[in-house]
Amino acid sequence: MPRIAPLLSPPFSRPPSRVAIRRVRGYEADLSALLFETLREFDLPVRDKTVLLKPNLVGLDPLGMMNTHPAVIAAARETFLRMGASEVLIGDGPAMDRDTQAVLESIRLREYAGPLSRIFVDLNIDAVERVELKTRASRLKELYFPKTVRGVDFLVSLPKLKTHHWAGVTLSLKNMFGVVPGGCYGWPKNILHWAGIDRAILDINAAVRPDFAIVDGIIGMEGNGPIQGQPKPCGVIVCGDDPVAVDATCTRVMGLLPEKVKYLAHAGTLLGHIGEEKIRQMAESIESVCTPFAVLDAFRHLRHNASGPVWHVNCV
Amino acid sequence: MHSTPAAPDQSAANGIDVAYFVLNTCLPYLRGAQNDDGGWGFTQGLESRVEPTAWCVLALHEFSEGPRVDEAAVRGFGYLERTQLPDGSWPATPGQEQGSWTTTPACWALLAYREQAQDRLDRGVNWLWKTPPGDAGRWWRFVRRLTAKRSVSSQSDQLYGWSWTQGTASWVEPTAYALIVLRRAPEKLLSNDAQKRISIAQKMLLDRMCPGGGWNCGNPMVYGVAGEPQVVPTVWALLALRDSGTPEFKKSLDWLEANRGEVQSLASLALTKIGLDALGRSDPNLENSLAASFRDKDISVVNVPAIAWTTLAMSSKQNWLKLTMPGEAS
Repeated sequence: MPRIAPLLSPPFSRPPSRVAIRRVRGYEADLSALLFETLREFDLPVRDKTVLLKPNLVGLDPLGMMNTHPAVIAAARETFLRMGASEVLIGDGPAMDRDTQAVLESIRLREYAGPLSRIFVDLNIDAVERVELKTRASRLKELYFPKTVRGVDFLVSLPKLKTHHWAGVTLSLKNMFGVVPGGCYGWPKNILHWAGIDRAILDINAAVRPDFAIVDGIIGMEGNGPIQGQPKPCGVIVCGDDPVAVDATCTRVMGLLPEKVKYLAHAGTLLGHIGEEKIRQMAESIESVCTPFAVLDAFRHLRHNASGPVWHVNCV
Repeated sequence: MHSTPAAPDQSAANGIDVAYFVLNTCLPYLRGAQNDDGGWGFTQGLESRVEPTAWCVLALHEFSEGPRVDEAAVRGFGYLERTQLPDGSWPATPGQEQGSWTTTPACWALLAYREQAQDRLDRGVNWLWKTPPGDAGRWWRFVRRLTAKRSVSSQSDQLYGWSWTQGTASWVEPTAYALIVLRRAPEKLLSNDAQKRISIAQKMLLDRMCPGGGWNCGNPMVYGVAGEPQVVPTVWALLALRDSGTPEFKKSLDWLEANRGEVQSLASLALTKIGLDALGRSDPNLENSLAASFRDKDISVVNVPAIAWTTLAMSSKQNWLKLTMPGEAS
């Protein structure tokens, strides 16, 4: 069954969103048990359904700095299987490197998730279908999307908690750039940059809105993200049934203001909630886990207070 | 675990019979993955696309013996004939009405059938040099010069090459493909403007080299932090610049050679071997590693172009590379 495009609606007509923040000691923790316990609270409709996990696999990452950690990916897969999903696929289309196998080997995903032959889909080279973009936030009128993404019953965005040198932050919404196929648009998918990153994020998420988001914030990245920043231990996993609300919460956890992040502010008008009053916070509070992330000078305005950390760049 | 040149897999430790490997493993895989329409998808069973088809045509043609032409390659050539757009370019996927970077691999494959394909080839080459990327426009470069983004990266805004899709910026890989194919373009098609464009694109590649040698997609330095090179763009850029003799070329070739023990995937291993063989730095261990890697890998995450490159990497003749070299017989 093809996925039905989500209804775009203003905040006043949407029910409150639910977001859970869980503290995690490290990647060695029993992430599967923690995720199962957390996701059970959401009563997700995944029994006998096909689930696609969309991690953030940007490029070669032997040091585990920029990609969603394989332990989180494997734990999420195990969790959805335990919740009764008939099939849990993992899929991504790395943006900066067309050699997806090299990216997977560099993060040792097979060691965590087992053989990938039947569960991993390289979204860069999957079969595609043309989708007319109804939102037209950017100047793109249409995009090709992988049939796997459009065909699954339940789509989960599984990013890493990072700053981004063009967009401010990259979380579950920006992570969806990875579903745009390199096989149609190249490596990187430069058409999205030319259309305007902030606006393209909205168009993509309106066309293939994730049903759920799980953010790997155990070790994030600050400064010159999403590739060349510095690791930032934050010790959290954030998840929820509204990717906009999850991203807004994560932004607050990073000590930044979601309403100042352009694409999040716009997403809050038609895709989900960014207002705290419309987000039901579960488990830990934002204040108890807040870890200010350093940002580039260009994103100084995102910070809660002027004395927060700024990434001092050494421009040449 | 992965096999690497430094520690080849035990099954390949005693060396392989390359001819046997190609004839009994690579070529049957490629023939078996061909679709009824003559093309290949990025993975077996998916709809045909131009780029994987072009690499497969080159790989099968490479191992066609004497006058015997591989039937699968001919059918692939037919797919390329049928999918050329009226303006001479090729789309990345069926249904797209604009040409893209796939025009260069398609032209490369057509070089193998030059006698039958001369007109199509001329139209493809013509489109290639006459279609500028989005960052070639004077207005764009003027605005870029004035904006703060210039301080973000160290690369020159005045240089440009070829883009992945029409109207977007220049990147290393599509620029390298175009330079490789245009090297063999008929002189009648390359005006002074075209020669100037080729020269600018060569400078762009040199400008985009990572500080330690090698290339990534095209971001050598962002906010003062050096980019990490990758195998795939590095090999294509080296092949595009093989006649340059520049210090950048040597530095990047040194990087490719030094990095060969770190390669963990079939595609990168195949391209490493192609690059080192073509540029005079052959490593006999790579043959064994490649064969072992082909056998050991979780094949579903390996795509058809990777198998085609593996096949091409196993060729001792390297005719497919000679197709793009001026003065060489096809």
